[in-house]
Order: sequence, then C-alpha cells, then structure tokens
Amino acid sequence: MTYRTASIIAYIAFFAVVLALPLVLNSFWTNRVAIYLVYSICAIGISMSWGYAGILSLGQGLFFGMGAYMLAMSLTLAVPENNPVPQLMLLNMEPNAVRDLCCVTTGSFLWIPFRSVAVGMIAGIVVPCILAAAIGYVMFKRRTTGVYVSIITLAFAVIGQLLIINNQPLTGGFNGLADLALLEIGGFEFDPYGPSAYYAVALTLIAVILLARYMLTGRIGQVLKAIREDEARARYLGYDVENYKLFIFCVSAGVAGLAGMLFTVTSEFATPSLMATSLSISMVIWAATGGRASLLGACIGALIVNFVGSLASESATFQPVWPIILGLLFVVVVLFMPNGIAGIFKAFIDRPGKAERLGGAKLSGKTERPDKADLLVKSELSAREA
Amino acid sequence: METFVIGLSIASILFMVALGLAIIYGTMNVINLAHGEMVMIGAYTTVLATKHLGFNIYLCLPLAFLVTATFGLIIERTVVRRLYGRLLDTLLATWGIALILQQLIRIHFGLGLFGVEIDGLGSDLQNVPVPAELQQAIQLFGANIPVYRAFVFVTALALGAITWLLMFRTRFGSQLRAVSVARNTAAACGINDKRVNMLAFAYGSGLAGIAGVLVSGFKTVSPDMGTPYVVDAFLVVVAGGVGHLLGTFASAGILGEVQSFVATWANDVYGRTVLFAVVIFILLFKPQGLFVTKSR
Repeated sequence: MTYRTASIIAYIAFFAVVLALPLVLNSFWTNRVAIYLVYSICAIGISMSWGYAGILSLGQGLFFGMGAYMLAMSLTLAVPENNPVPQLMLLNMEPNAVRDLCCVTTGSFLWIPFRSVAVGMIAGIVVPCILAAAIGYVMFKRRTTGVYVSIITLAFAVIGQLLIINNQPLTGGFNGLADLALLEIGGFEFDPYGPSAYYAVALTLIAVILLARYMLTGRIGQVLKAIREDEARARYLGYDVENYKLFIFCVSAGVAGLAGMLFTVTSEFATPSLMATSLSISMVIWAATGGRASLLGACIGALIVNFVGSLASESATFQPVWPIILGLLFVVVVLFMPNGIAGIFKAFIDRPGKAERLGGAKLSGKTERPDKADLLVKSELSAREA
Repeated sequence: METFVIGLSIASILFMVALGLAIIYGTMNVINLAHGEMVMIGAYTTVLATKHLGFNIYLCLPLAFLVTATFGLIIERTVVRRLYGRLLDTLLATWGIALILQQLIRIHFGLGLFGVEIDGLGSDLQNVPVPAELQQAIQLFGANIPVYRAFVFVTALALGAITWLLMFRTRFGSQLRAVSVARNTAAACGINDKRVNMLAFAYGSGLAGIAGVLVSGFKTVSPDMGTPYVVDAFLVVVAGGVGHLLGTFASAGILGEVQSFVATWANDVYGRTVLFAVVIFILLFKPQGLFVTKSR
C-alpha cells in the first residue's frame, strides 16, 4: 500500500467516523465533540500557515476570538430583551444617554451592522482576514521572519484581549457575551446540544479540509513549501514570497475566524479567554501533536488532546495532574516526534523492509525521492531559522 | 516624579528578567518561555523561606538565585540541550515546561494528591512580609519615594554591574561572548561550549529568580504570575537588540517608563497596549533592535 492510498483511506475513515458519531453519542457528548471539532478547524488553520509555509503565528487566538465575537454580537442582538439596546450596554451607560444603539455608550454604533445575523456571519470571516492582512502586510513587507513573527502575533493577541477586557460597556469586558440566541438560518435553528449544530461543524470541517487539501496539494502548496524550506531561494526563483505568505496567513486567519463563529454556535458564549496566550499556544500544540504538516494529522491531534483533557478533568485524581501531562506532551512531541501522529503513521506505512518483503527492494519510494517528513526534519534541524 | 520612580521600578524588574532572557537567547538561541516561571519560583522561594525558615527578604535573594539556577540547570540538561538550533521548537517545549512548573506549585509538588499540603504553596495568592525599613518613604525633590522601589532599583543596578563584570572581566564571560558570536569557532578553539550553555542558562534563570524575590515584595504571588513577565521581557530583549547588555538596559528603562506614564495618564491596560505597540513598531522598523548599529 502506498502512502497516498493509505492517506486517502485515512481521510475517508476519519470523515465517516465524524459523520457517524452523533448516532452513538448523547446530547452532552455531541456538544463536547462538536467543540473539539471546532478546535480541529483551528488546528487546520495552524497547519496551513505553520506546517506548509513555516509561519508560526502565536496569535491565532486573536482571529478565533474575533470570529466568535462577531457572531456573538449578532446573536446578542437577536435576543428580544436586547432590543433596541443590549442589556450589557444599559448597565454601563451614562444616566441620561439616548437609548439607541447609535450612541448609548461610546462606540456602540459599531454594533449597528450586527443587527443582521448574516452580517455577523460574514464579518466573522472577513474581519479576521482584514486584520490579518493588515498585520501580515506590515510584517511580511518588512521581511520579518521566524520567531519575530511569532512574537509580534503574540503581542497583537495580548493587545486584543486587553482591549476587549478593558472596554466593558462595548464588549461585556471580562465576562464577554453570554445569553445568546440560537443561530437560526432560514427558520432552521442550530441546537448546540443536538445533531444540527454538530453537523454544521462537522460539514464545515470536512469542507475546510477538502478545500485546504485541494489548494495545498496544488501549485500554491508547492510554492509555500519552497518558501518554508528556503525563503531566499524561492525569492530568487522569481516567486513573490511576501504575497504568498500574506495569502496563507490571511487564509489561516479566516479559518480561525470561521472556527470562532462555530465555537459561538456550539458553546453559546464568547469571552476574552478565547484570545488568551495559552489558548493560542495550545492550538499550536494540537497541530504539533497531530503532525504540523498534515491537515488530517493536525485535526486528529486537536481531537485527541482535547478529548483526553476533558476525560482527565472529570476524574478527581487526574484533574490536578492533567496540566503536567499536557506540559510533558509538549516536551515529548517536540523532542521525539517532530512530525506528530501523522509522522508515525507515515513511518509505519513506509517502514523500511516492507518493500523487501514485498519483493521490490529497489522500488521502495524512499530511495528514489527523499521523504517529505525527512525534509521537514532536516529543515527543522538546520539552524537557518536562527 | 512618583510616576517616574514607579516606572524605574517596573523597568528594574523588566531589566532583571530580560537580562537573563537576553543571555540565554543571545548565547544559545533558545527562547525560554519558562523564564517567567523562574520569576514565579523565585517568588515562591521567598514565600516558603520567610514562612518556614524565618528568612528576611535580603537572605532570600541569594537563596532564590541558587534555587532557580538549579531549576535552570535541570531544564537545560534534560530538554533544552536536545533542541539547539531548533528555535521555534524550544519555544514550544519550554512552554510545556512552564505549564508543568505552574501545576507543580498548585499541587504542592504532587504531595497535594496524597493530602499533604505545604503552607505557602497551592493555587491561593500569597503575600510576603516586607521589612519595616523598606516600607517607609523618603523625600526626594519634593516627592515621596517608597524605599522599596529604590531598593528594587539599586538591586537591579547592582545585578547589571555584576553581570557586566562577569561578561567582560572574567574568563567565563569571554567564553560566553565567544560562543554567542561563533559557536563552532569557539568550540574549535577549545572552549567547552556545552558547559558554557549550561552555566549561562543557569545564571540567566538565577537572575529571574532574584527578580521574583523583588516582585514578591509588592505583588501577590500566584502560580500563574510569571507568564506576563516572559512576554514583556522578551519584547524588551528584542527591542534592545539581542546580546547587548546596554541595549537591554536602555530598552527596559524606556519601556518601563512608557508603561508607567501611559498607565498613570490613562490606565494599566492602555499602558501595556502602548508598550506592545511601541515594541511592534521597533521590531518592524529596526528588527535588529534599537541599539544595534550593525548586524552580524
């Protein structure tokens, strides 16, 4: 069995399992798994920018949180008591302010477009994209690379979180937006504890995987990998490195924003903790555990880490130890499995000696062209990033 | 004037944390996200030593240095050593270590699981008693200056001076600088670069531990107190220019004052926001840092 066949089988099996799960889960677990699938979408976003283009963004939570807030604003306004002005603004307004969304508190006019849920849904993807384009434009045009990109994105995420917490009258501050209406499209309600929201998430996930795979196995993906391996060489070959990086950074932010919206649908709140540094770094670890350069791997990594995490937090013995296990997982994954679960899967399929047993020693793929995973390890080992 | 002094003390803490980080990042190209946890461990050393051993805060300074340097040594030997040359991976692995250390404090080093609890550990907030002579304020240029803030500033200056002496007046210092400029050449000349790495990592961690002792005097101590420091300190390091003692010193000063003045003028959140914005601009327009004239 070649690696290609094996991975196609793996994709199909994964999709089948994801689609079949609600048949066997109760409503609590349907909701939990739906949230894990949302995290998987985040991990795919990381895999696209980090695994393929080598851009390690530690501010992915910013885009995730923005997506969540955009939809949450619309769903807040969809609750009847929040008309014409949301409760959180009434609590924080000046005593004699006009009770209208235009001017009840400073900046409240920003909420006006979100009276329409459709606007909220579009903004959930478009606004993170625009922000990423702005950040990315400045970063990449200045040829900021490597760890500086990580630190700048991290700093942006911290600023975003601080601003949201600080602007209590506008954003709900530390408590964020809760008591949301259910998302309703064309009279159809998405119940977070029922299969409807689950399938919304699952189908989005599958669509994102397929689209990302289509895009990244094509020309764009090859150029991005070339940039990851050696940026200067790609530039000398005539590729517009900056625009390629900008593109994938924006797409990745858009995917994170999409995941954020689905998070609002499944968990019915949006808080500043979605933009926390720890969540942004966790997303990277999900992707690393599953395999940074594999879309399916990143996705499975997010599922496994979160699933085990929530199992552990339900047991009184394991709950206090879980962060330690998670920390060890970071260390072990980085030290011993730089390609994550996907790397192990690939090594198993391509294991040496198999070709000999099949009677075709010379035809083993490994001798003819270098293994993708090997290239990745080599690139990681080279001190070029330094 | 008060604002300026508060800024100075913020800058002093930033400087001590950033100095250790700068040595580690400059020498071995490792981003140590567990550095903030060294501050936290330094603070907890103070809590424990004052509670159980009756130490005062002065005695805690060397003690915390030793404790955190030992932690640093262990981290370097077990994890960081295997990751040289993989910059982004060090960032992830040390974040994992940071998580582990925080949780170890929360669960009383695992004893909590067996019902044994050590007074001073756990998830609660802790406070450290400050000696009476440090609680007073002195009058200077018509302004009230808390003695503690001055103490922090003086300690930071002293540590800066010690580090300068260590770097430029000792054999170890010249080895360290040689390794950070050209590791392979230095190793070929007979310098044991692994040993230099190890000691530099331990020394850097120790500096953060001392910062932790001083922080514990004016802030409550909690297991997750370290994370903000590592981000701020890293920004100081890159803004000042990697591997430049004076650059770190100056950028810690500037950023501390910026934060303090904006915080007084608006509020804490805007203080930090402006701080980050300043650093982002520095990074974008002068990625080698403010005080580096040529890049190597």
